[in-house]
Amino acid sequence: MADQQDPPATDDLARRADVRDTYDEIATHFASTRAYAWPEVESFVDAHAASNSRSGTRVGLDLGCGNCRHAELLVDTCETVVGLDASAGLLETGRERARERGFEVALCQGDAAALPLATNTVDIAVYVATLHHLPTRRARRASLDELARVLDPDGRALLSAWSTAHDKFDETDGFDTTIEWTLPGGEPVDRFYHIYAPDEFDADLEASDLDVLEWELSSGNCYATVAGSESDLSE
Amino acid sequence: MKESLLEILCCPLDKHELELEDAEYETGEDDSEEIIDGTLVCEECGERYPLEDGIPNLLPPDMREESPA
Repeated sequence: MADQQDPPATDDLARRADVRDTYDEIATHFASTRAYAWPEVESFVDAHAASNSRSGTRVGLDLGCGNCRHAELLVDTCETVVGLDASAGLLETGRERARERGFEVALCQGDAAALPLATNTVDIAVYVATLHHLPTRRARRASLDELARVLDPDGRALLSAWSTAHDKFDETDGFDTTIEWTLPGGEPVDRFYHIYAPDEFDADLEASDLDVLEWELSSGNCYATVAGSESDLSE
Repeated sequence: MKESLLEILCCPLDKHELELEDAEYETGEDDSEEIIDGTLVCEECGERYPLEDGIPNLLPPDMREESPA
């Protein structure tokens, strides 16, 4: 069920395209400031690197991959790692990083709310700092269900989103905002964010097809470790 | 893009399989064959998705940018 304040679905796609355009514009500079993987992601990958049975044919997914700094963490334990992003500009930075650092990633341009990946194909996924860029609650919830669909029931994913728990914010309810990115020449570029209230993040996950295994607040972000849904194969 | 990736890619709209058309290949540094250019076509709805410069664009058609000349 869509929120009442959500615009029609056609506007939804146009707004997601706007976010894509924003990241095309700032891609090179943005990626240059994102050299290192997050420690929370490293811990997740270490914990789930080989925890399920399909070793040898494992598929990893970095959803909202940007410059592929997290895809890089998956290559050791996955036969195929897909780096998916809406922005062609960011995918180019991913290709560059993979070339420089000598790892292999299958790049794909796509939308997190309409994933172009087959059901139950993904064994390990990282979906960090991306969900909050989807401009409507409908798109964000669709995206969670899409992750549940592509994730194998034995697969695991780490999700993160920015939250009102961060020191930067005074609000306690979730809200939409734009946060400026300043290009090297000083030009500001607005980026859409939905800042989640922790209980709202929790509620959206509970309402989704994902199976929530762990949940925490860390560094002002909501994190969840989730599993895929069991029901997909019967469809 | 490696052709084997087609096993896990699908149409973002109806999730059916994609068929590769008009493919151009290139041999990479490690002797593996990469698809550099082509079109991915949904076997069910017929929607066509471009694959350019080695990267498939599987954004929903309404989100796809106007292709530059």
